[in-house]
Amino acid sequence: MSAGAKKRIMKEYGECMAETPAGMKINFDEQNMTKWEVLMDGPDGSVYAGGHFKLEIIFPNEYPFKPPVVSFRTKIYHPNVSNDDKGSMCLGLLRPDEWKPPNKVVAVLRLIQSLMVEPNIDDAIEPSIANEYKENRKEFEKNAKDWVKRYAK
Amino acid sequence: MSSPEPIPPPNDRRSSRASSAGMDTADGILPVGGPPNDPSPLQIRASNSLNSKNRRSTIAKQPPDLHLLEYVSQPDSNLVCLICHSPFDRPVQLFCGHFFCRECLDHAWCAQQEGRKTCPTCRSRVDPEKDVRPVPKIIETMLDELVVKCPNAKSGCGWVEQRVNVNDHVMLYCEYTLVECAQHDCRLHISQKEFHKGCLHYTVSCEDCHTSMMKKDLEDHQRTACANRSTNCLHCDASLLRLDLKTHIKDACGKVITPCQGTIVGCTFTAERAQTNLHEKSCPMATMAPHFRDQQARIERNEARLEPLTRKVGILEDGLSSITNMLYPANDSASTFPVTNPWIPTSPTPSPSNLVPTPTSASRPPRSHPYPKTHRSPFTNPSHPFDSQVHHLLTLHESLRDEVNRIANALTDLEGRTNMMVMNESQRTKDDMLHTNAAINGMRHQLHWLISATLQQRNSTRTAANAASGSTSGARQGGSAARQGPSAGFHAPLRRLSDSTRQDTKL
Repeated sequence: MSAGAKKRIMKEYGECMAETPAGMKINFDEQNMTKWEVLMDGPDGSVYAGGHFKLEIIFPNEYPFKPPVVSFRTKIYHPNVSNDDKGSMCLGLLRPDEWKPPNKVVAVLRLIQSLMVEPNIDDAIEPSIANEYKENRKEFEKNAKDWVKRYAK
Repeated sequence: MSSPEPIPPPNDRRSSRASSAGMDTADGILPVGGPPNDPSPLQIRASNSLNSKNRRSTIAKQPPDLHLLEYVSQPDSNLVCLICHSPFDRPVQLFCGHFFCRECLDHAWCAQQEGRKTCPTCRSRVDPEKDVRPVPKIIETMLDELVVKCPNAKSGCGWVEQRVNVNDHVMLYCEYTLVECAQHDCRLHISQKEFHKGCLHYTVSCEDCHTSMMKKDLEDHQRTACANRSTNCLHCDASLLRLDLKTHIKDACGKVITPCQGTIVGCTFTAERAQTNLHEKSCPMATMAPHFRDQQARIERNEARLEPLTRKVGILEDGLSSITNMLYPANDSASTFPVTNPWIPTSPTPSPSNLVPTPTSASRPPRSHPYPKTHRSPFTNPSHPFDSQVHHLLTLHESLRDEVNRIANALTDLEGRTNMMVMNESQRTKDDMLHTNAAINGMRHQLHWLISATLQQRNSTRTAANAASGSTSGARQGGSAARQGPSAGFHAPLRRLSDSTRQDTKL
């Protein structure tokens, strides 16, 4: 990773610290700055309210020309998060062909937060959960809250 | 490790630096410096670099990288490249109006295919030949006027000036810029300031703390880091070892501003330590403070002890509710047992654990559990036992066990039935086999008979050939054949006969 990219990550970290989106905490290791650990509270008003989710953001060596890789380390019942031990997330500006170098990590964090409030059904990675969200919203909410209780307390 | 003289004689230098190379000849020719036949990564890099040809010119200077400069004030966000997030370095403008550093743009484009270059911001097609234009002069001027620190600021350079001058400063004037060592076979770098002192790349040990380091670092170490050097307290001018400085400032220094001990109770007095000590003698809150601290510690201990207990109670209550559920399973599920609800007013929807039906009406359970409700309310603990994984696992385990029991019963049932079926089937198969055996036996008999008949026929043809001797034997054989059945000409009716006798056995 070039010195310029490191500098940019440092700057983005400073920016995130200056205006951290509400309910978020970033653990940053100066030795390994390509891996951020984000603690995110479930946004109020969403089914995930009250949960604490651990996320991992990994910056590839080609950053900012390739998108950062976001994964949920805490299990979450969400149509856009893969339901395995990776918990990966790949949509919107995180897609390699959608990513633009001027995008910022703060925008990524905001995107995640807004997705927790309103999942993106058309771009789902877990079709069964997306279906449930579309057709049986009550059941979805029940399952999501159940998972929050089970994994995200 | 204790070498008393700060500058060891040349012999010591060589032995300390080049002992591994095993070159003890030519002390006079190579008085100082590293072993040249043992290339370090640094040397390899140096020989690969562009400067390798004029290595002896003592210049190892690299022009400063503008991306890595530290700016004195936050630069205007309009002057910042969106890719590297630093103020532009040699900016260019695309026809779509977006600006980037030349280098960042090249980086972004090297991943894209030839002829399909796009603007990193708006993704409009760009022709690298025609659409890349220089930026307006005013932008360049604004960039040049940004105030930066010298890139060698960490080494001690205090130069702060406009960015346009940084290249000249680093390349010509800065004392802290690294150059190659004066010693012609030493390939390490040294700051320009110490260049004239000759090669300082040999190991010495600090006379105060006995740490070994390079000579060029010794002065710096003694000035700022060595723990066994005496230094002055910033506040009270007392002279003491650097080692003790921290504890001195924290506990002893009379000039350090400290708050009164009573702050935890509410005293707002803050002054230098000497005055604070005087104040504390008369301050009632300071005298109370130790007691409060004790109480605080005790409360914390108790709370820590309470935590596992509440968890335990939760688990037990959950067990109780599942037992209740087992005892009265037929109640309607609409009146749910509020196991979790009393403590989470924010979660109105039922969790699986409170789908447990109650033994009585819906109004009763809250009254039947008044104790935990009132008892738990002061502790609005977000992670209480009912939501714990243990609780969930226990209920899961319980239901799984039921399931397993049911499956085991079904299995034994199925096994018995299968056994019966197998036995019936095998009985029938056995019967069939007996029948088949009988049939095979019959066929064997028939075959015997047929063979003998054929033999007989052959014999009779032979007897017909020699009629004289054959008349008596033919009569005898004909008789025997008549006893067994008709001769070869009458095979078919006999076979049908035997078939018809077996008709009842075949099914």
